[in-house]
Amino acid sequence: MTQPWSPAPASGTAVPARREPANLADILERVLDKGIVIAGDIRVNLLDVELLTIRLRLLIASVDRAKEMGIDWWEHDPTLSSSAHDLADENRRLRERIGELEPGHEHKPGGELPASARNGHRVPRDEPAVRVGAFPDER
Amino acid sequence: MSGYATWVYAVTRDLRPDALSEVAGVAGEPVRTVTGHGLTAVIGSVDAEQFGEEGFERRLADPAELAAIARAHHGVVEAVSAAQAALPLRLATVYRDDDRVRDMLGQRRGDFAATLTWLAGRAEYGVKVWADLQELSVTGDEPPAAAGGPSGSRQGAGAAYLSRRRAQLSARDRRRQAAAEGGAAIHTALSALAAAGRQHPPQDIPLPGDHDRPGDGQPELMVLNGAYLVEPGSLPQFSHAAQSAVSARPGFRLELTGPWPPYSFAGGPEGTA
Repeated sequence: MTQPWSPAPASGTAVPARREPANLADILERVLDKGIVIAGDIRVNLLDVELLTIRLRLLIASVDRAKEMGIDWWEHDPTLSSSAHDLADENRRLRERIGELEPGHEHKPGGELPASARNGHRVPRDEPAVRVGAFPDER
Repeated sequence: MSGYATWVYAVTRDLRPDALSEVAGVAGEPVRTVTGHGLTAVIGSVDAEQFGEEGFERRLADPAELAAIARAHHGVVEAVSAAQAALPLRLATVYRDDDRVRDMLGQRRGDFAATLTWLAGRAEYGVKVWADLQELSVTGDEPPAAAGGPSGSRQGAGAAYLSRRRAQLSARDRRRQAAAEGGAAIHTALSALAAAGRQHPPQDIPLPGDHDRPGDGQPELMVLNGAYLVEPGSLPQFSHAAQSAVSARPGFRLELTGPWPPYSFAGGPEGTA
């Protein structure tokens, strides 16, 4: 990950030398969620920011598909290009997550997701309660 | 009715005429300004249908379009901000025409002028801190006596498993707690060196299975996603403080970003924007 003014290990100087392209997650976080909100004349209902961000990550994960579409901006985004080896796995997990989020969005645009959508696929992992049955000799 | 609507990028005071010559807007349009009430709005004309309610929402739902629009909006805001103190507007603030934008400047001129004065000469910097839970130094982490040893001989395998598991869970809770406290302490320290500080939600979006247990599958947790309004003169000190705070904590990692236009501070000193 390129860090615009990351710690300089040897010299100890830390002032950013120059501005580098910001990563997309940082930009989205700011343009979608920060900045002054003024009610304009045209009401645009932005999707839930989390959903937008996840969809974006999903697209990024689908590198081959995106390349077919002629989109290659991530090549210039060090945050994204450095994690290529995790993409297949992340892709799968994001698809599951989108499955959870989308129904909630359709019913309540921009609002809270229904509990069912949020909890839908939660997998109990490593819970002691799950293991008790596997070790019946507990006294 | 015209086929164009007016997209607003930012509000500022006077702007050098050449400040916007290098940038294009969200529709690829040339960026221009409308002035009134001592303020300048940086705007662009976009197709009223393409950027109307229905069509636009559909486009924003397309990640590739959203990415392009977000980058273009940010590009304009950044160009304005490089030239002059500016208030970034949230993505997708659209008016019927330029006159409506001028009206808006008049209605909000008091707030805008005060916030622009407050922001003048300052820039936003982002500080992200991650903690690797496995590498944190936390006291009281030693695992309990191994099951199956002499003292554990009367315990069944299940009970031994459970007690081991319980110890692991509480060790992890302690680590998570220590990570969160570290993040909070860094935020407090950096806020004291800045004109203002804001915390944003962490960017590690929970995925199925780790929703209620961040840090379970991924050892690195984002413990701080902060934004700070910093004066150029105190930037070296600020940056040094961030690095010292992180390197003093084993397992912590730092990423500094910026300078940003003051997105996180556009609401003014009291605002939460």
